[in-house]
Amino acid sequence: MYQTPVALKLTDIHKRFGDLEVLKGISLTAHDGDVISILGSSGSGKSTLLRCINLLENPCQGSIAVNGETLHLQTRSDGALEAADEKQLAAIRSRLGFVFQSFNLWPHMTILENIMEAPMHVLKRSKRQVEELSLFLLERVGMADRAHYYPAQLSGGQQQRVAIARALAMEPRVMLFDEPTSALDPELVGEVLSVIRSLADEGRTMLIVTHEMKFAREVSDRIVFLHEGRVEEEGVPDEIFGSAQSARCREFLATAV
Amino acid sequence: MDWSVIAEYYPRLLDGAWTTLQLVVLSGVIGVILAVPMALARLSPNRWINIFPYTYIFFFRGTPLLIQVFLIYYGLSQFEVIRESILWPFLREPYWCAIITLALHTTAYIAEILRGAIQAIPKGEVEACRVMGMSKFTMYRRILLPRAFGIMLPAYGNEVILMLKGSALASTITLLDLTGMARTIIARTYTPEEIYIAAGVMYLVISWLFMIFFKMLDRVFNRHRLA
Repeated sequence: MYQTPVALKLTDIHKRFGDLEVLKGISLTAHDGDVISILGSSGSGKSTLLRCINLLENPCQGSIAVNGETLHLQTRSDGALEAADEKQLAAIRSRLGFVFQSFNLWPHMTILENIMEAPMHVLKRSKRQVEELSLFLLERVGMADRAHYYPAQLSGGQQQRVAIARALAMEPRVMLFDEPTSALDPELVGEVLSVIRSLADEGRTMLIVTHEMKFAREVSDRIVFLHEGRVEEEGVPDEIFGSAQSARCREFLATAV
Repeated sequence: MDWSVIAEYYPRLLDGAWTTLQLVVLSGVIGVILAVPMALARLSPNRWINIFPYTYIFFFRGTPLLIQVFLIYYGLSQFEVIRESILWPFLREPYWCAIITLALHTTAYIAEILRGAIQAIPKGEVEACRVMGMSKFTMYRRILLPRAFGIMLPAYGNEVILMLKGSALASTITLLDLTGMARTIIARTYTPEEIYIAAGVMYLVISWLFMIFFKMLDRVFNRHRLA
């Protein structure tokens, strides 16, 4: 089978919080265009794994490579790994779009300002160019008419769509979604999922941590099931949802669906 | 009561009020500028960096403003090095001594207010900066400091009004601010009731002006809350 180039490669990621080992050696490879959903019960380490990718959490061991560029890491005094080169970390972060569970828009800036901020002041693009792209992205997520609103004036679903546009404005190689619908009222989940689905259809490389099983099955090329900090099962959706090898995975899917 | 003394002396009182206004505005502006590096150093996890602001704030919050005024005005002139330095033309003037003392004093308070405001920014908003690949410098300049300024405005406005009243201590080092001027007039006219009432009213007017000014700042920096 033809394989596109590797977009993201995690090797043997370990993470400890004190004595608690949350991630016990996770490896994962995403090729360009892959949509990978990471499932697992709470406490299985799926959010922590996602946050280790751009060093929002510092893993204790392992390596991270984006588009073949390995992130330089060094050991900190407490034993965790930190970036050896802040500039390289910033460059790699700017290539990874991250969408939070709680949106995290900057409340004192308008929607448009939120989206334009990083492309202008991190990537140093011109204002005109960024504004054009931002308005286009707002159009894409169906928020063009709210460009000059403040985040607090929007519903949760609308804020999350803006947060997705904000991440896209950096033109990232890989999008990381950390439970993007978990903080939303049930009636607002659909609008956010349909935006994410349209990104998948567009061929974007995405890692999605989610509890939306039906969505994960429909949208993913691959499912990774985590249990107690290890990859318990991995495969294409129909395989995992139809006939998972692991009893724990079958059990989880049976109760969750 | 002889209200005619007010009619006679109010231009002098206005002169004093003008001096008071200069003391508060200049020290407030210098204070806010010095408070930024002070608060950032205070937030540093490095002990060798945060020990300086910690000690500074401990001293300036823990001792009376009056003693600080005396230390700078009477104390510094005791040292020959200072009397011979290029700063002496400033340090021998009560006006500049008052501004320096008030500025150093208010810096300690504003630094604490700013530190609290920065810490009050939800962690997720900071993470949103980090995942975009922002450098620390850009993050503070573009997002965190403007955001913190909006959060700290009410407390900062309060601090400025406290400094307005604290500035009356400048009168103890011969400066003719509003209080100093009132005392000088009273020494001549023996009408404390009338003149102190007039001076008190002027303080009220000045603090009312500050309240209006801070309300305007709030409209600019906290637009999002009004929307």
